Amino acid sequence: MIQHSMFHEKGPVFWWTGLAGVMAAGTIVILFASLVIESVPVFKAEGISFLWGVDWFAGENYGALPMIFGSLAVTGLAVVMVLPFALASAILTSEFLSGRARLMVKAAMELLAGVPGIIYGLMGISLLTIWVRDVFGLIDGNTLFTAGLLLAVMILPTIMTLSEDALSSVPGELRDTALSLGLTRMETVTKVVVPQALPGLAGAVFLGIGRAMGETIAVMLVIGGIDRLPQPWFNLFAPGQSIPSKIGREAAEALGFDVQWSALIALGLVLFVMVMTLTFAGNVLLRKAR
Amino acid sequence: MNRRLLKERLSMFALYGLTAGGGLILAVILITVFTKGAPALSVSFLFEASRNFGLEGGIFYQTLGTLILMAGAALVCLPVALGSVLFQTEFLHSPQLKKIFRLLIYSLNAVPTIIFGLIGYLFFGVFLEAGVSWVTGVLILAVMILPTLHVSIHEAVETIPKHYREAGLALGLSPGQQMRAVILPQSLHGIVTGTLLGLARAAGETAAIMFTATAFSGVDLPQSWTDPVTTLQTHILVLAQEAANPEALTNAWGAGLVLLAIVFILITATLWIRSGLEMEAER
Repeated sequence: MIQHSMFHEKGPVFWWTGLAGVMAAGTIVILFASLVIESVPVFKAEGISFLWGVDWFAGENYGALPMIFGSLAVTGLAVVMVLPFALASAILTSEFLSGRARLMVKAAMELLAGVPGIIYGLMGISLLTIWVRDVFGLIDGNTLFTAGLLLAVMILPTIMTLSEDALSSVPGELRDTALSLGLTRMETVTKVVVPQALPGLAGAVFLGIGRAMGETIAVMLVIGGIDRLPQPWFNLFAPGQSIPSKIGREAAEALGFDVQWSALIALGLVLFVMVMTLTFAGNVLLRKAR
Repeated sequence: MNRRLLKERLSMFALYGLTAGGGLILAVILITVFTKGAPALSVSFLFEASRNFGLEGGIFYQTLGTLILMAGAALVCLPVALGSVLFQTEFLHSPQLKKIFRLLIYSLNAVPTIIFGLIGYLFFGVFLEAGVSWVTGVLILAVMILPTLHVSIHEAVETIPKHYREAGLALGLSPGQQMRAVILPQSLHGIVTGTLLGLARAAGETAAIMFTATAFSGVDLPQSWTDPVTTLQTHILVLAQEAANPEALTNAWGAGLVLLAIVFILITATLWIRSGLEMEAER
């Protein structure tokens, strides 16, 4: 009764919050719609083969495959490299540290997750590229591998803290039961806690991948910026390009309405769809875990 | 030693080893920023304009630019975030609608920041005719940090004890009065922490503003709505690309240290407020 009357009393407060609500919820819809509408010109010019074209010469033709490949390669590489570290530190924090130490670690991770991408970029361009070049005997240290390595370090705090949440949400009784059955602490972790937390862990990783895939500035500075598929395709010690780094490099010169701008927006659309799929899957898994 | 015990020892060793490795890498990064940035810092570096394309002089206007963009973004974002949370908690009653609303906000949080730059430029730069300007940057960052503020405020409003609301209703408060007297004061910590986190996010963002709001040289304070600014983030970006030049690199690290300090102060304040609340709750 009271709620009913609240809903119908359309005072200024209702209109302010309603407007704000529509703006907040509508933004993502507008974003997606704009991406679709603005990428029409390039699909008209190139057809659907925009997605698997391998050449990108501004003003002539536009093919997105090298950028899509670059994004997948860099993100995949980052996840493979970060997983052992992130999972180990999440298990240690959740299962073996005292409550106080755990809070300290979590706070530190929150702080580290906030380190701006440009700082990692500076680190990458002035130290990591040189290091990769010397260690692997390359001519140029700006490669897909370098970008993947830098991304791995960047997403470590995020994946670690999300995985830790998933592990520590496993009920304590399960651990007690396992221990009382004579399992060691490590066996309890690997045979009981991790299997129980698996959907949550997978969700954490998916969200981390989504975050990594959209990272622009740090990747842009170390990836090499060459819009070509590496030869052979699995040679990750070659320069490449990811979708965000391509947009970041070209947006300033393409600002406007010609086909190049539309091609960049279409790249954005591809990125958007990939990231949203990952995030959605991650959130479904996380919800399943709870 | 039996095999189970050996396995236990070995896996514990691996666990500690990997964790130490990860921690070490992150520690090295922080130490590098401090050791490389500290030599550049001085009073004149902080309070002088940059000269000779950032190779000489300081980062005064860059710091101001970063502060203008982040403060502007938070100011624009706060009323919208607050309003959308109150709409969600006070006026939306259907669980389905609440769920959809939540989903939309969470999706917004996942959008790569470069896309905010692209579409934001289209809306604010082209349609609103703000061009490449600080206003465009403020508006783009405001949209970008909206989910951060929203989630934080929403959590605070949702955890207000039910009997507080009931007391307000029993007194016959209108929704507006209820918000002013009960909900806003009781969720103030969420509003503050959300805003601080949003400020930190805006301060650390480069991709969304580098081609929409900033210019590198010849800019100090914006004199009109459509002037670009210069920021610490983009200053570092340009200097980093001259990594072969040691002067450029020193100043880039100095600017990086200042930027990192801004972000860390904001996040630490958030953590501090939150831990204070937890202690109060335990008492």
